Amino acid sequence: MRASRTENLLRNALAILVIAFFLMPIVWLFTTSLKLQRDTFQLPPVWLGFQPTLNNFAFAINQIQVGRFVLNSVIISAGTTLISVVLGTLGGYAVSRSRLRFVGASSYFFLVLLMIPPVAMLVPFYLIMRDLGLLGTYWAVIILDTVYNAPFVVWMMSNYFRSVPTEMEQAALVDGASHFQAFRLVALPLAVPGIIASVLYCLIFSWNDFIFALLLTSPSTKTVPLAIMGQFSTAQLQWGYMAALSVFAVLPVLLVALVLNRYFVQGLTAGATKG
Amino acid sequence: MLGPVLAFVLAIALAPLLFSLFISLTDYRLTDPTQAKPFVGLGNYLKAFQDKAVLETLANTVVFTVGAVTSQVLLGLALALLMSGETPFMRTLRSLAIMPLALPPLVVGLVWKALYNPQFGPVAYYLKQIGLSVDRGFLGEFTTAMPAVLVIDLWQWTPLLMIIFLAGLKSLPTEMLEAAYVDGASRTQAFFYITLPMLLPVIFIGVLLRTMNAFKVFDIIFATTGGGPGNATSVLNFHIYKVGLTFFDMGYAAALANILLFMIGVCCAFYVVLLRRQRATEF
Repeated sequence: MRASRTENLLRNALAILVIAFFLMPIVWLFTTSLKLQRDTFQLPPVWLGFQPTLNNFAFAINQIQVGRFVLNSVIISAGTTLISVVLGTLGGYAVSRSRLRFVGASSYFFLVLLMIPPVAMLVPFYLIMRDLGLLGTYWAVIILDTVYNAPFVVWMMSNYFRSVPTEMEQAALVDGASHFQAFRLVALPLAVPGIIASVLYCLIFSWNDFIFALLLTSPSTKTVPLAIMGQFSTAQLQWGYMAALSVFAVLPVLLVALVLNRYFVQGLTAGATKG
Repeated sequence: MLGPVLAFVLAIALAPLLFSLFISLTDYRLTDPTQAKPFVGLGNYLKAFQDKAVLETLANTVVFTVGAVTSQVLLGLALALLMSGETPFMRTLRSLAIMPLALPPLVVGLVWKALYNPQFGPVAYYLKQIGLSVDRGFLGEFTTAMPAVLVIDLWQWTPLLMIIFLAGLKSLPTEMLEAAYVDGASRTQAFFYITLPMLLPVIFIGVLLRTMNAFKVFDIIFATTGGGPGNATSVLNFHIYKVGLTFFDMGYAAALANILLFMIGVCCAFYVVLLRRQRATEF
């Protein structure tokens, strides 16, 4: 049943409105970061024809020294992503291929772990890290981020491996390959899109994390979201500075997400849409 | 190969949970110089069920979770249907639509706080033009604060549901739909009798992901309302943070966290049963 011309026009118009709604706050953030203080409060809001300035970015780079916060964010999210994806991919493969009931059932256990509210973990984790002397180190945040990310990767990758045919692995096993060789040489290359999706989700989650970093970092390991919040609580609030700092928090992950756009769904729906 | 991840998760996740179970039975205050942990049995738990703030935030948690998941799943489904066209134009719009979900929720909260600002916020300004305005801003009034926060959550997470549902729509076999149209089914009938039932597994994934995260909402509330006005937007997750890490009443916070964990556990058990049933019909 083919759609008529008018229907297509209507669809496009409605879709543009929807996208305008989803882009408006992002456009506001980027334009505000380029505005002079006097222009940020103008009503009706000026979206395009304002006098651009880089003052806010200069402030973020020179005064706040956003560079070191970015570095901390990179270290924490890279560490989390690496550990989570390695552990999670191995675990996901085991869950998807094992015939042991215990292993299959463990996939529910990982799902349960994802549901633990961060505060339920934070209070005791904070005390344990304090007693171990790890409070304020990168490790404290990386470990807790990984507790949430690794199970998610297990869940996504086990779904993904289930959607990959097993015949080739079985052929490899018959030809004398070990289980690990079958995994590394046959299954793993086929699962690359799922792994990219896992990396993407771990990156987004750990880069954007606020609550764990809020409680577990020290001044020298603070991440970008904390720098933004710190600016927010100073006496005189400058939205331009806030926006420029936020651009540092937003831009890296946004670019990665736009480039890897098509991988977003693969891991999430592999199990359910194999058709 | 399951070993490493299971060992890691058990070591790191179970230790805090057991420890939390222990301190929830004590009156442990971080500010206490002796760091004593006097045993109070189930005292903290009994206190929770008479604590007005806890009951309020518990109700808010349910309102937020149900409101967020329902509105986002319905809107996500509508958007997936609207934007499923395979024209270059639609494809471009679709790739732009995923942008919100890559943003840090904290930044999202701060940006919307500015947009809602009654003095200079663009959203408040435009709504005023069409006759909608409230004195202290949408985040500042008792009746509008929760809906305003729900809109922020909706803005951030509807795109995720949209792309999940789109993937589901694309993977559906077209033969049945064609057969239905040949037999004279209307588009509405085809949607409700064919597309929707076949889409259920994907919808289920969407509901599961969003429920898990809606229970844990924190950043947006921290950045916008701080739980206020009063306790209007304070969910249990946020309240526990306040009790434990700003009032340092660790024992009570741990008890509240365990109550939240129990609630989510019940929800989770329900999902696992559904998931099992779905898997069973699949094979």
